[in-house]
Amino acid sequence: MSFTEQLSEIPWGLVWPLIAIQLILMTAALIDLNRKRSTNGPAILWVFIIIFINTIGPVLYFTVGRRHS
Amino acid sequence: MRQFSLFLGKEWREQARSFKLVWVPLVFIFFGALEPLTYHFLPQILESVGNLPEGAAFTLPEMSGADVYASLTGQYQTVGLLVLVLAFMGSLSGERKSGTGTLLYVRPISYAAYYLSKWTAAVGLAVLSVWLGYGMAATYIVQLYDPVPGFPDVVLFLLVMSVWIAFAVTLTMTASAALPTGGAAGAALGILFIGLMIDGIVGAYWTWSPWKLQAYGLAFLTGSPDSGDLAGSLGVTAGLTILLVLSGILLARKNASKAKV
Repeated sequence: MSFTEQLSEIPWGLVWPLIAIQLILMTAALIDLNRKRSTNGPAILWVFIIIFINTIGPVLYFTVGRRHS
Repeated sequence: MRQFSLFLGKEWREQARSFKLVWVPLVFIFFGALEPLTYHFLPQILESVGNLPEGAAFTLPEMSGADVYASLTGQYQTVGLLVLVLAFMGSLSGERKSGTGTLLYVRPISYAAYYLSKWTAAVGLAVLSVWLGYGMAATYIVQLYDPVPGFPDVVLFLLVMSVWIAFAVTLTMTASAALPTGGAAGAALGILFIGLMIDGIVGAYWTWSPWKLQAYGLAFLTGSPDSGDLAGSLGVTAGLTILLVLSGILLARKNASKAKV
């Protein structure tokens, strides 16, 4: 099965909300990170966590990464 | 009353600026979408990721709509509660620590308005998130599963679930009024999860408890719950929530002196 065939087999109508949520969470976390600049741990580490860990990455950033001060 | 609406405005702005207004609902919506999809595509998922031996055969149970609601509720009982506690653990203790508290506490404020404004904002956001999450799940469930529970039953279930979520959030807020942020998260999670554990062990005999609410709510989807037990549990939970709110107000006043200047 070719790659394009595999792509067209994915039920995009059902899956796109998940991807959209993923992207919104990621963007919100990155905007916030860019604005705050004071995190628990190095900021670059959080950039990688936010981008590469699905869904949980941004949530981790919002809950434990932001420094509340 | 004027103080209350002022404080409430401040809470909404705080939730918007910290992106809580965005990420808390989104996490619930995400799980609401993921759970029905996972169960619907489970055979394909197993086929493509599981290193199954040649010729392995599974008979997967046929899931009905109510089963998916139940498994999503199980998800919300663990990840959902964790997210809610982590989101609201610092709502009072954080202000004591950051210095926002000092700006407020030197003024003659009503601590009832102060606590209740935070409570309203937090419970509002939490309940809204849960409804949106189940709403998302419902749009998938009606497309992918059969039979699905009727709309009025789902609403009844969500109303019962809201009472439980309100209890969990109130517990977090009061813990946050009493303890520093880390301690508050520990206390709230401890009480919520130990409660769930105790309910798992002796739940058959202890029929009136906040931890039973989700089970009674789910019973609406497959039939109807024991109305006496449901009313009892709702009463106990409402009573506990009111007690927690009152002690939260007292503790917020008492701990105001601990604010960092």
